[in-house]
Amino acid sequence: MTTEVTSYAAADQKAVAPCPAGGLRRLARVGLGLVLPLVLALGWEAAARTGVITTHLMPPPSTVAAHIVQLFATGEIWDHLVATLTRMALGFGFGVAAGTVLGALVGYLPVAHRLLDPSVQALRNIPSIAWVPLFILWLGIFETSKITLIAVGVFFPVYMSLAQGFASVDRKLVEVGRVWRLSAFDMIRRILLPATLPTYVIGLRGGLGLGWMFVVAAELMGASEGLGYLMMDGQMTGRPAAILASLVLFAILGKLSDFLLVTATRPMVAWQDGFRR
Amino acid sequence: MSLLTLDRASKRFGNRHALADVSLSVASGEIVALVGASGSGKSTLLRLLAGLEAPTSGRALFHDAEIDGPRPEIGVIFQEPRLLPWLSVADNVGFGLAHLNAVERERRVNRALDRVGLAAYAKTLPRELSGGMAQRVSIARALVGQPEVLLLDEPFSALDAFTRTDLQDHLLDLWREDRPTLVLVTHDLDEALVLADRVVLLAGPPGRIFAERPVALARPRERTSAAFQEEKRQLLSTLHAARSGRIYEPEVLEVP
Ligand SMILES: Nc1ncnc2c1ncn2[C@@H]1O[C@H](COP(=O)(O)OP(=O)(O)OP(=O)(O)O)[C@@H](O)[C@H]1O
Ligand SMILES: [Mg+2]
Repeated sequence: MTTEVTSYAAADQKAVAPCPAGGLRRLARVGLGLVLPLVLALGWEAAARTGVITTHLMPPPSTVAAHIVQLFATGEIWDHLVATLTRMALGFGFGVAAGTVLGALVGYLPVAHRLLDPSVQALRNIPSIAWVPLFILWLGIFETSKITLIAVGVFFPVYMSLAQGFASVDRKLVEVGRVWRLSAFDMIRRILLPATLPTYVIGLRGGLGLGWMFVVAAELMGASEGLGYLMMDGQMTGRPAAILASLVLFAILGKLSDFLLVTATRPMVAWQDGFRR
Repeated sequence: MSLLTLDRASKRFGNRHALADVSLSVASGEIVALVGASGSGKSTLLRLLAGLEAPTSGRALFHDAEIDGPRPEIGVIFQEPRLLPWLSVADNVGFGLAHLNAVERERRVNRALDRVGLAAYAKTLPRELSGGMAQRVSIARALVGQPEVLLLDEPFSALDAFTRTDLQDHLLDLWREDRPTLVLVTHDLDEALVLADRVVLLAGPPGRIFAERPVALARPRERTSAAFQEEKRQLLSTLHAARSGRIYEPEVLEVP
């Protein structure tokens, strides 16, 4: 009996002993995701150099990288970056604010749900790009229509996450709030919102993704600066490297903003007792 | 004088009759155990007293005033701990004390955690607690507001026998200190006999009071004593008699 117990303890110790290769292993895990893009890039580069593909239409990664470096070296990129990021930030901000307020209202008040949700759902079925002509007509070709379009894209996922998230909060936890006689506002603030936070974060991330989609759409529909404008310009002037450079920058910005969002909200959802934390 | 009163209280959910004409009065400092088969309306009765449901007809009274919603003098402990998973143990316990300043709140929280023996776990998240510890936290949360009445709905039924008897003793210790009135739903006759001054048997649906029996055992009660076992035997025969209709013949209730 005693020997058995000891052997368990020994096995336990082995399991929790700090792994010296832990850092390396983590690096390897992240590295695994880089393998595929690297192989593709190298293959493309090789294909371009050996003349298998025409570099005129499909410039190799080295050319695209050189173009990006040049954009930064000449400082040309900054105005465009600032323009795109400003639109994105404003559109995202307004979209999140509207989605949060309306989503919370509809999620909390059955009356508001019956009154507003059918209309919102109907509007959601309109592909957001379809608003473009109307927004341009109403709000002009400049910033307002672009920011509105982005905000519309961001609004729906955020709205949905709260309108549905509130409804699925455990009734038993809501009852705890009732026992302590929370006001409606406190019920939302202290029980419903925290309980919905994991869903809300998913809504925010979905909104962010759509936001980037619509910032491109907005800039393609007519702009004098921004990453989307650089793409349009590359198309007009027949420079595929310029288009690909903007594409890469969009990808980096999208990934980076999502990473920041997840990092910022992680402490708030750390309490989750899920399958994989 | 009666602290809690149900006066011919009925409760209907749609056309389902959960409670029919139940009258019950609980004195200050008394411990009442509600027993009865599943669906006999025990939880519903407790929820009327808690102000979580309103009676369809009849009245629920606290100090002779209508109970029209949850109130600070009446604490509730549910079958599950119902801790808010995003708050630490201390923040869960102090959840209802938002109106106090931080120093006073912390003092009360620490005292309540002390009383359930969990002072060392103040900063822990609920997911790291065992079931028994979590239920103790929920007891601390109910006690922190120093309620006159504590309503408990099968508070220990999800726990193993060891933890259950521990927590029963614990509840009695707390009761000896400031004598809150306890109304407790249980499926466990031992639990009823260890804790209660009076056992009330419900049957249904529609739920109604079938039989009542004072527990004639001196405190502290010894679970293994002959007197305890004898009391349990008599309680069992009361329950059986009641169910076979010899004590109380339930009239068939028409549900419109
Ligand atoms: N919210 C509700 N909506 C509809 N019917 C309900 C509701 N709550 C309780 N009931 C009904 O009321 C009756 C009594 O339920 P209650 O939960 O009070 O029983 P109980 O004695 O606590 O049972 P258990 O021992 O299983 O917990 C049941 O028939 C149940 O279906
Ligand atoms: Mg019940």
